Parts: sequence; structure tokens; C-alpha cells
Amino acid sequence: MPAEDMGKLSYQMRLAFAVATVICVLVLAISPVKDFRSEWKKHKRSFVRYAQGRPDTKKLLADYSPNIDQVWIPGMNVVDRCTTCHQGMTQLSLADSSVPQPFRAHPPIPHNVREWGCTICHRGQGPATEIAEAHETTLAWEQPILPAHFLQASCGSCHHADLNETPQLTRGRELLSRLNCQACHKLNDLERPMLGSDLSSVGYKVSREWIYKWLKEPRTVLDKDGNVTVNGYENGDESRMPKFRLKDEEIVALTAFLSAQNAKPIESYKINPAVVAAWNKKPDLLPQGELRFRQMMCTTCHPLAVTRAGETKLIGGDIGPELTKVGSKVNEPWLVSWLRNPQGYLAHNNMPRYGWTDEDLYKVSQYVMNQLTDSDLLTTVPKLEAATQDEIKNGKRLFLEKGCASCHSIAGVTPQKDFGPDLTALGAKNASELEFGKAKITHNLLSYIQAKLQDPVSVNPVSRMPQYTWNPADLDAVTTALLSQTGPKPTSALQHLTVPKVEASYRAVGDFAEVYERYKCYACHRFNGVGGTLAPDLSYEGSRAQKKWITEFLKNPQTIRPTLILRMPQFNMTDKEVNIVAEYLALAVQKPDVNPQSVDARQFTPALVSMGKQLYEVKYQCQSCHTIGGTGGYVGPNLNNAGNWLTPAWTEAWLRNPQALQPDTIEPRRNLTEDEIRALTAYLMTLKAAIKPQTSTSAANARLAGQGAGR
Amino acid sequence: MATTFHAALENLRTTRVWKSIFRRGPAITNRTRSVAVFGNLFLHWLPVKVREKSLRARAAYYLGSLSFLLFLLLVITGVLLMFYYHPAAPDAYRDMKDLRFVISNGVFLRNMHRIAAHLMVLLVFCHMFHVFYRGGYKPPHEFNWVIGVVLLLLTLFLSYTGYLLPWDQLAFWAVTVGTNIVSAMPVIGSKVRFVALGGNIVGENALLRFYVLHVVILPLLAFLFIGVHFWRVQKDGGLTVRSKDDDGKN
Repeated sequence: MPAEDMGKLSYQMRLAFAVATVICVLVLAISPVKDFRSEWKKHKRSFVRYAQGRPDTKKLLADYSPNIDQVWIPGMNVVDRCTTCHQGMTQLSLADSSVPQPFRAHPPIPHNVREWGCTICHRGQGPATEIAEAHETTLAWEQPILPAHFLQASCGSCHHADLNETPQLTRGRELLSRLNCQACHKLNDLERPMLGSDLSSVGYKVSREWIYKWLKEPRTVLDKDGNVTVNGYENGDESRMPKFRLKDEEIVALTAFLSAQNAKPIESYKINPAVVAAWNKKPDLLPQGELRFRQMMCTTCHPLAVTRAGETKLIGGDIGPELTKVGSKVNEPWLVSWLRNPQGYLAHNNMPRYGWTDEDLYKVSQYVMNQLTDSDLLTTVPKLEAATQDEIKNGKRLFLEKGCASCHSIAGVTPQKDFGPDLTALGAKNASELEFGKAKITHNLLSYIQAKLQDPVSVNPVSRMPQYTWNPADLDAVTTALLSQTGPKPTSALQHLTVPKVEASYRAVGDFAEVYERYKCYACHRFNGVGGTLAPDLSYEGSRAQKKWITEFLKNPQTIRPTLILRMPQFNMTDKEVNIVAEYLALAVQKPDVNPQSVDARQFTPALVSMGKQLYEVKYQCQSCHTIGGTGGYVGPNLNNAGNWLTPAWTEAWLRNPQALQPDTIEPRRNLTEDEIRALTAYLMTLKAAIKPQTSTSAANARLAGQGAGR
Repeated sequence: MATTFHAALENLRTTRVWKSIFRRGPAITNRTRSVAVFGNLFLHWLPVKVREKSLRARAAYYLGSLSFLLFLLLVITGVLLMFYYHPAAPDAYRDMKDLRFVISNGVFLRNMHRIAAHLMVLLVFCHMFHVFYRGGYKPPHEFNWVIGVVLLLLTLFLSYTGYLLPWDQLAFWAVTVGTNIVSAMPVIGSKVRFVALGGNIVGENALLRFYVLHVVILPLLAFLFIGVHFWRVQKDGGLTVRSKDDDGKN
């Protein structure tokens, strides 16, 4: 090439260069154009248009900026840009459900969005500014938005103590504990009690055939076709025993092993033969037994199935096992021994030790053995030969392998440690950490938990988890409680915010401790957070009730709330025991700021009383909820005997602020003046209806009739 | 018009400032042209004369040059990324999210860096195969072949150390696996792993070490070796030993 031609390009080269330049510029333009057209900018602009179409435009756009909005809380690891699109979060005028999303205001909650951000509760990807990235599971983010229905799970991640605002979570936690999930799984805040009964001596209690039936279908209320007619669970009363997927030969082996468990012989008791002979002559032995059974209020703790108008229902409490067919389950010597001393068979059982007369014992046991039966119960059980040593050995192996030993203890059998997986951090797991097997479900944590709970083998064919029956509300409640188990790791930045569960402590002392233990007061009543919730909390009973009334009540428990079907059983306490309890309740369990002696009843003048009556009947219309002398509502307790029952001090304190004494009461706080409080108390103290013994046949029958209607 | 422009340019070339920067006069003759190349820091390693034939695409496919171009692109985008990036445990991943969601053209920037890096590894391998099949490892090129191997390793190390920086699961496990492979070396394996990670697990220390390697040590070494590599290409007389070609010349 001649020197002078150097540096000169051909036409083709120039053209190629020009085209390449244009293409290069176009390629480089893609990114800024995409940037300009990003999703969040569209939402920004459409919010402005929306605000302009409303009368409060100025207020809505006061804090508007066309840039990304974010909540940034370094200490809590929060960078949430949700408010970039959800721009009406804190605008009170946008709370209405007609406001289109994403502009609607947040419903009122105790936490401020500016202080807490969004993803701590809602999950999803906080830093994202695209709809799909922020809400859904993506390759770069595996925790999608938590559906609003399960949102209470997030409350539970920090609030280990139960909250009034989260009933679904509380119910779920209750179910986890009640179904003894912690026997196999590690869970936060739940220790590992053995809830299943001790089976060390079960061979004395039930037959091998019954065990077979129980393992095959652990629910006893079946119709003649073997269908479950009462799904106990819907009434909240199902037995805790779930259904295990056992083959027939496995059941045979297990029954062989269990029926050979005879660690401790029962304490046999011989009922006075004269009593037996006398009662056997009477034609109404069984009706009398039933009457006594009802009078003793066994159904306060034990449910019974009752068929009325073709519909089978469970009535009664859910503390003890269901007794509809118990006569076909246990044998008579065992029953008699059990009724006399339940703790002789199961040391840690909650059944009270009643003071039985031979007569009552015979009547009730005959009633249970002859009337609470089902002759068809065991007809489907195949003929079982005598257990061989091989079967027993095999049964013992299965007892461990199937996880029976996690709930039921047997002397000489050590359960496997950590039988099921640790679930303390289940709620924070990513979908990639879960095993979905061949289940055709959406691959996310929520569907996984629900599929696993409903049918454990659907996601894992070799799962050892038994089959539970759920109603939809409980399934969601348990799911919520499991989602709240986020463990310490992912919320480490929030560890300091955790509200721990307060462990209640209460110990009965002195002579009372013995009575407390004998009658198992804690099965129903609560003292300083320890004990059942069926019956009133007695932590402040000494401030509330008068000692004389307590004494009368213990001798003959009458219900104060006529609409309740569950009542305190009659324990047949001795006078000495009654005195110990009344003494203890009146003096030892008082609320420090409500001294029963602080209000002198002598100052209540007749004028004050009539003013109180006026206030009661006219100004505050208390009778719409409370009954006096047969008139009034049934929402609150009846006040017929208020003058004997309540202490003036308690009455005044209660009228002043009921929630201070009992946080969950529905009694409204009326902001009464001190004069009104005094007058009302004076009136209530004059209400002294005598306590009438209510043990006649008609009363007991009326009560039972009422039970069916009440449920 | 053109003549006035040329005249102005000629005038400019006679000014003192021009002469202080470009010490030789206008490159008009072959001599002044070669002197211009020799006298320039940036061009001095280039040959003063290149045969047209060796500029043809099939002679080198420009694989080495393209690799170098990508290297420069990576340096530029890398420096821009450094403005946004913190080599610390929660921040690193969050910076990725910021690049993705908030920073204007952040995705473009990050993808340029990432894709260019992948391409560079690919091109460097192609370059090596090309040189190998053309016998470029034979004397007098054996020294430059070794330099080339060092550059290949530097490229791979740059790529690998960069992989950890997004601090996501992919990065974490890639580095966990990689450093476990290292620890399989006899005798010194676990020590090397400890030094590489600044500890026994892939944690913040590892992130910091990989970051320093990625943005300081390895790029400087790469610059150094690239300089030597280019220089030797010229001194050894081109990429490969060419057999006597069509016109009997070397």
C-alpha cells in the first residue's frame, strides 16, 4: 500500500463501522430505557393520578417523592422498600376496602410501620422493587409473602407469651401441646411431658381384643357401619391418640406385647357383700347408678356421646377420656379399684380421689359396666390366640420403632431420643430445604406443612408420623403455630425483641397441699397461672368470696352461672377437708390491694341500698345480664346470693375496674363514681337467698336435658 | 475548507506545546513513524512495522486481544461496582439487592462485569488452544507460553474469587467446595485452606480475603504479566512459529 493511502478506509469499512456504531448505541440504550420503565415508577405515577382524583389530594401527596421509599432500620436488619408502591400505608383516609391496592392503608396494629418495617411480619423480599420479586418465591429469595390468614405466626416469632389478639396462634400452640407433638419433635417453649398413659400395667385394665380395636381405629364413637359419627375433633374432644399406619400383623404383635404388661397388680377392693346383695334385689339399680353418676358431675371432665333426634353429639368436658363405651373396655375389678384410687394405677393422673361409700361405688360401677357399653364394639376384631414369645418380642420392637414409646411409658422400655425432626426453626425454612416427594403441591413451606399434617406420607412415603384428623380451622391454627417456630437463627437481629413466655409458678402449701393433690383442684382451677382453665381462676378467691360461702359451696357445689353445663363435682369432702380448703382460700390467696376487711358493711344504710337498687335497675340496667330472683339475663353470674358470696371490698374493686381483677372478663367498665360504687355494693350485699340443696332426681334430670340443648 | 483545516493542523504541530508532548515531528516518513512508536511509552513494545498479512483475521482470530479488551472492560466495570460494594457479611448480599433493585442501570453494570468475566475465561481458553495448535509453545516462544499459563491461572483465580463476592448461596457453596478440594492436598492442604479462608469456615474473613485478592492483588499481577506477555510476543516475532509461508518469508 502506498504511504499516502494509509489511514484511508474503504467505503465498505466505513459502512460497517457506521452500522456497528448504531447497533452499539442501541444496545447501550436498552438498560436506561428499562430503568425508566421500571414497575415501581409506574406505581409512583399511578398513585399521583389516584390522589388527584380524590378530594384530599394535598394531604395524600404531602410526603410524596418520585424516588424509592424505604424503611431502613439498621439495628433490626430491615431494608423494606414495600412503601415505594404501598404508598398509602399510613394515610388514614385510605383505610377503606374500596381503595385499590397497592394504595390501601394498613389496618391499625400496635406496631408502627416506620419502627418495624414490613417484612418482619409479612415476610417476602424487603429490598425488592418488583412485584414478583417482592412477593413470591424466586431463585434469589425463598421466603414468599406470608398469606394474611397465617400472619399471626409472625406475632408468635417474638411473642412467646400468648396474646389476646392472636386467637389462631394461641389455639395452634394449645393443639401442639395438647396433641403432645413435643413428645417426638423439639419445639420452642414446650417441654416434653409424657401425655399418653403409662402402660406398665395395661394388661390388668383392658383385653387384648380391645387394644386391637383401639390401634385399628383409635376413636370409639362409631355407628353400626363403622363410620365415625362424631368427629370428636370438631368438638375439640378427640382422643389424643392419632391413627398409626399399622399392618394387621403389626397390630397383633403390639397387642401381644401390651397385654403382657402386668408390672403392678391392681389394689383389689371387695365391696361389702351385704350392700351388693341388697342392691341386686332392687330393680332400679342401674337407673340409680346413672343418677348418682350424673349427680357427681362426672361429665364435667368426661364427655359422653348422646344421640338426640338422630344426631350423635359429645357432651361434657374434655379433661378426662370419653366414656361412652368404657364398659366394653375395662373390667370390673379394675374399675372399682380405679374409682377408689386412680393414682394407685397411674401415679400422675389428674382424676380426684372421691370419698366413696360402698353403696355409691357399687351403683356407679354397675352403671358404667352395664350401660356405657357397646356389644358390637369388638365384633370386628379377629380371633386372637394366646400371645407367643416371638409376638411379644416383635411387639416390643414395634412399640419403639413406631414411636409409641415417645408418648407412653412402660417400665423397662427406654424411648428413642429425638424421635421426630427438630421443628424449632421449621417456620424459617426455605422450600429448598424441604422434601416434597411426589406430592403435587406448590413447593413452598406453607403447602408443605399443611400437606404433611393432613397426610404425612404424601410428602414422605417412609414418614413415621401418624395420621391426625383435622378440621380446617385447627389445621390452619397448627400451621400458624408451626410457622411461628422460627428458632433463634433467622431472627437473630430481633432476639432482643423477643417477649419470653412467663413460666407460672404456684405451690400449694401446708394441709391444703394434701387436699389439693387428692382432689386435683388444678385439673380445673387455676392458681397464679398454674392449672386448668375450665373453672374460675382462684388466685384471688380469698379477696372475692366470703369464707362461710366457700364452706357451703364445697359441701354442696351449686353453679353460679345457670347456663353452664359443666359444674364442680361433689367430692364428698370431709368437714375437716372443707375447713382446710375454706381456711386456705379465704386467707392465703388474696389480691394484695383488695383486702376483704377494708370495706365495713355496717356503713351501708337503707338509703344507700335503695339508691343502689335504683342504679342497678334503671341507670345501668344490670339485669340485662345478671339474674336476681328469677328475672334478668344469663350472661353474667346470678346475683341471688351475692350478699353471702362476695366480699364488699371485692365488689367495690370489681365495679371500679373489672378488667384489673380479671383481664379477660366481658363485664363492661362503666366508669362509675365512687358514690355509685358504694351504693351498688350496698344493694348487692343485701341479696342473700338461702342456699337450697339441689340433689333431687328432677333437678339432675333437668340438668342432663339442658346439656344436650346447651351444646 | 479542508485546506484551511489542514493548515491549522500544520500550525498546531509547530507549536511548542505540541512539540513538548510529541517529541518527534510529524510521522511522514517511515523513519519518523518508527521513531514515533519507539519514543512512546504506550506503543514502544509494538513493532514499528506490521505485515498486512498478520493482521488478517485468521492469523490470530484476535483471541488474545479480545481477552485483553475484556480485561479492560472488567477493570472499568469492576471499579464502578466497587463504589457500591461492601465486603462485609450482611452488606455484601444487600448491595447485590441494591444493584438489582435500586441503582440506575445497576443490573446492566453487574451483568456486564459478570458476563464479561465468563466470556474472558472462555476466550482465554480459546486463545490457548489456538496458540497450542499453532505450535506457539515451541522455541523461541517457550518463555511466553509459560507466562501465558500463569495468565490463564490468574484469570481463573480472578473468576473464582469474584464468585464469592455476591455472598449468596451459590457463592457460599462454590467456595466451600473449592476450598475443601484444596484441603485434600497432602500435608499442607488444611493449612492452605485456613490461609485462604482466614479461618475454618466460609465467613466474613474469607469474604474480605477474597475481595482483596479480587480487586488488588490478582489484577496487579495480571497487569504485570500481560505487559510481559505482550512485550515478548513482539520480541519473539509474533504469536507462533510460522513455517516458511507462501512467499518464503518468515
